Amino acid sequence: MKRVFLSTSPIVAALLFATVALAQDKVPLKTQLPKPLFVGTPVPLNVPNLEPPLKGKRADFMVPAGTVNLAKGKKVTASDENPVTGTLDLVTDGDKAGDEGSWVELGPGKQWVQIDLAKEANIYALLVWHFHSQARVYRDVVAQVSNDPNFKSGVTTIFNNDFKNEIGAGAGHDQNYVETYQGKLIDAKGVKGRYVRLYSNGNTSNKLNDYIEVEVWGKPA
Amino acid sequence: MQNAVPRSRWVRWLAFVVVALLGLAIRLPQLGVRPMHTDEAVNGYIVGQLLAGDTFAYDSRDRHGPALAAVALPLARLQGAKTFSDLTESELRITSVVAGTVTILIFGAAAEMFGFVPCLIAALLFAFGPLPVYYDRYFIHESLFCTATFGLIVSGWRAVKMRTLGSGVIAGACAAVMLAAKETAVLHFTALFVAALGFWFWSPRGTDPRIRQWIKSKAALAAGAAFVVLLLVLYTWFGRDWKAIPMLLHAAPHLLERAGGQGHEKPFWYFARLLTGGWSGGVVIALAGVGLLMSIGRSGGAAYRFLAIYAVTIAMIYSAIPYKTPWLALNLWLPATLFVGLAIGSFWNAAANRIPKMAAIPAFAVLAGLMTALLAHDTKQRVFLHPADETNPYAYAHTTEDILGLAPEITEMAQRDGIPKPRIAVIASDPWPLPWYLRHFSDVGFWQPGQAVGKADFYITSTDAAERYGDQLRDDRADFFGERPGVLILLWLPMPK
Repeated sequence: MKRVFLSTSPIVAALLFATVALAQDKVPLKTQLPKPLFVGTPVPLNVPNLEPPLKGKRADFMVPAGTVNLAKGKKVTASDENPVTGTLDLVTDGDKAGDEGSWVELGPGKQWVQIDLAKEANIYALLVWHFHSQARVYRDVVAQVSNDPNFKSGVTTIFNNDFKNEIGAGAGHDQNYVETYQGKLIDAKGVKGRYVRLYSNGNTSNKLNDYIEVEVWGKPA
Repeated sequence: MQNAVPRSRWVRWLAFVVVALLGLAIRLPQLGVRPMHTDEAVNGYIVGQLLAGDTFAYDSRDRHGPALAAVALPLARLQGAKTFSDLTESELRITSVVAGTVTILIFGAAAEMFGFVPCLIAALLFAFGPLPVYYDRYFIHESLFCTATFGLIVSGWRAVKMRTLGSGVIAGACAAVMLAAKETAVLHFTALFVAALGFWFWSPRGTDPRIRQWIKSKAALAAGAAFVVLLLVLYTWFGRDWKAIPMLLHAAPHLLERAGGQGHEKPFWYFARLLTGGWSGGVVIALAGVGLLMSIGRSGGAAYRFLAIYAVTIAMIYSAIPYKTPWLALNLWLPATLFVGLAIGSFWNAAANRIPKMAAIPAFAVLAGLMTALLAHDTKQRVFLHPADETNPYAYAHTTEDILGLAPEITEMAQRDGIPKPRIAVIASDPWPLPWYLRHFSDVGFWQPGQAVGKADFYITSTDAAERYGDQLRDDRADFFGERPGVLILLWLPMPK
């Protein structure tokens, strides 16, 4: 017993040390939140299969130190080259206000926007603001990361609430959520990739697809 | 010029029939496309009950009077509807389309009162203006109410002027339809009474004797009799529900409560802002303002003075009452069109007297073209391109297009899971307009939050009601639907097997 303890204790100590070191290396993700524009529609609490609403500010989401918003000012492309409202650069311009003029609106039905981070990166989190001046739910939200700009190969899906597989990325198991000024935080778990693509399929107010801002938090690989 | 009526009645009526047909043509396309507003859904449900053989049971806390249903029911039957689930949006909205078209025709009857050219201009404005076109495609009481109001003004004027029994009967019938459509008719009767008083006292020749003479005439008796008889017939639903009469007589407390706002409070200037909005609103209201000033002055004549007092009084009443909805503005648009007609007619007279016709005609043609373009833009945007959009000021707390996907999704999921006759439980304190959108399903139940709900294949809950039913919803997945801007409901679907 003593021998086992003596032989494993250095390993346990090393693991503990590594965990502490890693934990110390992590910091809360800090982003500037826009002004809230509506008092949220009452969303049920403690109901199975439904994302609980945020009570006050979101709990800290830990990311490795040195993580930054890699999407700021980066090039954005989309399935709809002629948006109904606004321009694609609004997606990464840093303006998260919900006022008119802050969002780009893509046409009806299934649409995507894609952000080119310019080089491969370790991605830890996405923060997405579709629209937050009223209670809305965007349908079939799918977020993917890849090094292929056409998303044909090496695609990692990091969020998918398209449970009927309307988008064609497979049936999703993530939950629907109501848009708020705090944005939707998606845990990307350090996935590597250069391109981030976000799908949606209309919303509960109309068939259009809006994006106020997308932040991609990570570190160059 | 405004009093110049073509000698041939045929020519006059032909002009107004053409305008009415054009107005009808613009009101018919895509009639069923816009989602049903909650009020339309409630009215549709009432027609559905009547199709099933029920009696219209008036209750001032729950619904307006029976006039809309009385007109809609035979029209729905004519179109082949036999049950609530047979009804379609366009089958119901055709009632308001018909009412709006009749309003345009009444301008023809009003030509002797207000002049041919002003009435023709007013008819064109009513036929193509964004506000009347929008609400004449809306299955609510306002269009019918507006038709009856205009009918009362025109036939009442003729009854007083000519003292004919026919005009008296029509005036009484119009007043009855107004009160049987909406209890707010009392406000219009007040405004018309104020206008009659003003007309009587402020006549250039002192008090006008015609009103006093008319009150003692047989025409007045006929008007009163027609009013009482038709009102009783409608409110008792052809003699089947006499409880409606005491209910109507005791409606005042509920109506006063409603007038206090009930969540529809708006500022005093709400209607002014609504009417002056869009590309054309400012021009229309500016011209109407000029016409109104002319009416108060000497150039308008007695009929315009009467109309001016009525219009200002009713505008003040509506603006002062906290409860405001945009369709009430239809009652202000109606007199405004006649003031626009008077202003344009007077401008034409002034121009024709001062400048050569060769110059006046092209100048007026350009201005008319510009006005048409402004109106066409607003009508296209508000009526056809964005009829339910929250940026459209006429689309008030409107049902969103998203709700149109609710029933197909239930059908699709029921087929997926092999459920031939899905049982649907709706749990919400205010479920409207869901009864309309679920009318094709035979097993639909509605519960208030907190009530015990039986087993169902699909649950639909308001967002605040779902928490109480965690156990029943444990195995379901929630899909959101937008009911109105900012108002969401949840469809709980069985997890895929």
